[in-house]
Parts: sequence; structure tokens; C-alpha cells
Amino acid sequence: MLTAFGRAFTTPDLRKKLLFTLAIMAVFRLGSHVPTPGISYELVHQCQKAAGPQGSLLGLANLFSGGALLQLSIFALGIMPYITASIIIQLLTVVIPRFEQLKKEGQSGQTKMTQYTRYLTIGLAVLQSSTLITTARNPWNLLGGSSATCPTIMNDQSVPTMLIMILTLTAGTGLIMWLGEQVTERGVGNGMSLLILTSIAASVPASVWAIHNQGWGKFILVVVMGLIIITAVVFVENAQRRIPVQYAKRMIGRRSYGGTSTYIPLKVNMANVIPLIFASSLLSLPVLLASFNRPDPGSGERPSAWVEWVTNNLSKGDHPFYMLLFTVLILFFTFFYVSITYQPDEVADNLKQAGSFIPGVRAGQATAQYLSYVLTRITVVGAIYLSILALIPLIALAMVGADQNFPFGGASIIILVGVGLETVKQIDSKLQQHHYEGFLR
Amino acid sequence: MHAETKEVVVTETSTTRSRGTGRRGSRGARQGNPLARLFGRIALFVRQVLDEMRKVVWPTRQELINYTAVVLVFIVLIMLYVVGLDQVFQRAVSWVFGSS
Repeated sequence: MLTAFGRAFTTPDLRKKLLFTLAIMAVFRLGSHVPTPGISYELVHQCQKAAGPQGSLLGLANLFSGGALLQLSIFALGIMPYITASIIIQLLTVVIPRFEQLKKEGQSGQTKMTQYTRYLTIGLAVLQSSTLITTARNPWNLLGGSSATCPTIMNDQSVPTMLIMILTLTAGTGLIMWLGEQVTERGVGNGMSLLILTSIAASVPASVWAIHNQGWGKFILVVVMGLIIITAVVFVENAQRRIPVQYAKRMIGRRSYGGTSTYIPLKVNMANVIPLIFASSLLSLPVLLASFNRPDPGSGERPSAWVEWVTNNLSKGDHPFYMLLFTVLILFFTFFYVSITYQPDEVADNLKQAGSFIPGVRAGQATAQYLSYVLTRITVVGAIYLSILALIPLIALAMVGADQNFPFGGASIIILVGVGLETVKQIDSKLQQHHYEGFLR
Repeated sequence: MHAETKEVVVTETSTTRSRGTGRRGSRGARQGNPLARLFGRIALFVRQVLDEMRKVVWPTRQELINYTAVVLVFIVLIMLYVVGLDQVFQRAVSWVFGSS
């Protein structure tokens, strides 16, 4: 199996793609470290040291940006605006008739939608970066601590400097978006997911390692739990409902062609980890907003009611309300995403054109109905599986008392495994085009 | 003559279609009070879900072990790569921007 990893690098075509992806990841990490112009690198570090490891409520958003948010680097916003924009655009396809029409147009419509997503991303980036920069004038809101320990992180608070900072952060977001699309196009795997994977991979090792301070027993417990979750994810991701398909037999000359039978694989969890990414990034938004509106703890002023409510109910993964909302969102997004990405009508049409059929089901309309019938029923199980899997680590980590090391709860582990599996499968299928066997099976 | 045959064909398809949609029998759901009907429908749905689950192909033990191992190795490699990069970049950035 390990030789297969080596073989992936000796295949020229694949090596190019892998190296390209790795290079993009390196650029992404580099940008997460370079500070935005106007931000003092040293003052930020002093503030972080003063605030201590658990000073900030922004753990979740920070994790998504791979630690870049709290360093106020040029990639501080990370891939979040892009994710938010694609959620909004996809939700709008149901509401706005024009978008629905575009979706039905196929390839050209899809391109148009991508374009809208990009515009919206830039819009959101401007919004978020102005909020971030405005907040950064009172850095204790961002980094924790109080105005006494962390008075300022900017050298210059004039308007032109702030405009340059906003411009830089927006441009950084645009660049990340482009990097992601380049990976999708020329590298391996889905660019957006892979960049999230990179961000999470940057912070998970440190937070797992930090657990050993609480005793080796806990550390081993967490690692074992991680292994169990990985196995569970792999198990369900590989479960398929295979719908038999029969090709019509044709006589061409004296030979008969076709008549073979294959199947349409319908995964039990068609949506992969996308609902998890959507749900947790949506849930992190109110926390982000609330922490921007937190008053200085040194001044003794009380935060407004909604800020207090969000801080109490949504910023902790083991709060019952958070869990409930998280579960509902996951269930919703699973069904929503599957219904958007899988089109039974299209599949039925393709089957008809290829001269194939599902035994016992009439071609055309009836086939589409049958497919959506099966899809709805297996997605019920897929959605429930995903929400349970997302809740287990939240509860378990809270029980061992290690939850503050995992700001994200366990969703980060599942995203890690889900994206990893997807990428490995794609590399594997590319490998199989060159050699007979890949590294899976 | 020609138009006539065409018409016949059209009516035939339309009748088959209407018959096709009513395939899943809702005979039991029609009777009884609304509450019972709702529960009946839910029960039917759950039964259908379980029915589909029985047809799902689960991965074999060998497949499961293989995939898990590969994913594990992949994730560990990515983490090592990213953490390594971070070390380098952190040093570089603090060398450029920090005062020594």
C-alpha cells in the first residue's frame, strides 16, 4: 500500500497534479502567516501571549481560517466568505426563478452561477473585512484579554491605512477563491474542501497534542475515539445502494452487442461532509458577530442581551441548544444538498438515451420517480448518520473535559476524514488509469 | 388516416402514464381519521426506508481496513506537510517582521 503512495509520484501525469496541489497548499499557508499592512506583527504576538490560550471566543472561525484570523494576516478571512456565498447562492436557486432557470440550462448556466458566487464572495469579503478591521481597533474583542493588556495592534489608525487593509483582506479572499478553483481544475480533489482540510490540518495536531497535558490516559482516549470515528466515516461513505441497470441488446450485423448489466451507485450519504461544513460555518457566524460587539471587559460595562445570549448558547459545542440547532441544520442541509446536486430526471434521460433501463421500471418519467423514491429513503439514513456522527465527538470531548482544545467539536475530525477519503479516491482512480491496481483494495 | 394513428398513440401514452403514477398503493391510507392516516403514512415510510436499507451494499471487512489505513496515512502525511510548512513560514515571518 505504501508503495502505491510512491507510485503515485512516479506517474508523470499524476505527479504534476499532486505537486501542483501541494504547491497551492504551501501558498495558502504562506498567506496565512504574512501580516496585513498596518498591523504590527509584534503587538499581535504580545496580545496573544497576554490573553492566554483560551482567551478568544473565535476558535471556530479561527480554525476555519487555519489560525490566520487571529493573526490578522492577509488570508485572515480564509475560505469562509466563499463558503457562505455558495450556501447563499444555492439557497437562492430554490427561491429565485431566474436562478432555477440557469440551473436547468446545464453547463452555461452553471458557469453563470459560479460567476454570481464569485461576485457575492467579494461582496461578503468587503463586508467581513471592514467589520474585522473596525474590530481590530479594539483588539481585545478579537484576541481576548482587556484594553489594559492589549491596547492596540495597529501602528496607524488613519482612514487611508484602514482602507488599504480592507482592500488587502478582500484581495486575499479573492486569491484564496482562485487558488481553490485552480486546485479543482488542475490538481487533485475539490479545491474548496482541500483548502479547508489544510486549515484544519494546521491546527488539529497542536490541539490534540495539548490534551496530553491533562494526562496520558485522556490523550489515548481521544486518539482511540478519533480512530473509531474515522472507521465509522469510512464505513458509511463506502455504503452504496446499487440500482441495477440493463443495457438493451442490439444486433449489428451478425453479432449482438450490449445486453450487459451494470448498476447506478447511490451512496447512502450522497452529500459527503458538505452539510457539516455548511452547518458549522453558519453556526459560527453569530458567534463572530457577537464577539465583534463585546464591550471591553476591563471597563465593567455589561454586554447587550443578544450578545450575552449568543455567547452562552452558541459558542460552546456541548450546550444542548447548540447541539439541537446543529442537528437540525445538518439534517436540512443533507436533504437540500442531495436534492440540488443529484437530478433524477437527468439520470433517467441519460439512461434512456444510452438505451438502458432499470429492470421492472418504465423508462423516462417512471424511472426518475423510482430514483428519487430510493434516493429520499436512503438519504434519511444518511442524514441521521451524519448528525449522530457530528454529535458523538461533541459529547465525548466534553465528557473527557477536552472540549476547549477542540473549538470545533468533532466536526473537524469528520471533515478531515471525509475530504481525505474523497481526495484519496480521486488519486486512486487516476492511478488506475496508468497502472492496473491503485492503493485501495 | 395518418393523423388518426398519431392520435391513438398519444392517448395510449397518456393513459399508461396516469396508471404508472398511481403504482404505489395508497389504499390503506385513504380510510380512517387524519391522525391514524398520518401515523400510517409514517409507518409506511419507515418500512420503505428499512426495505431500501436491506438492499444497501456495505463494505467488506477487508475494504474497510484498507480504506481506513489509507485515509489515516493520507491525513497524517498532510498534517506533517502542513505543520512543517507552518514551522518554516513562522520562522521566516518573524525573521522579516519581528525585531530581534
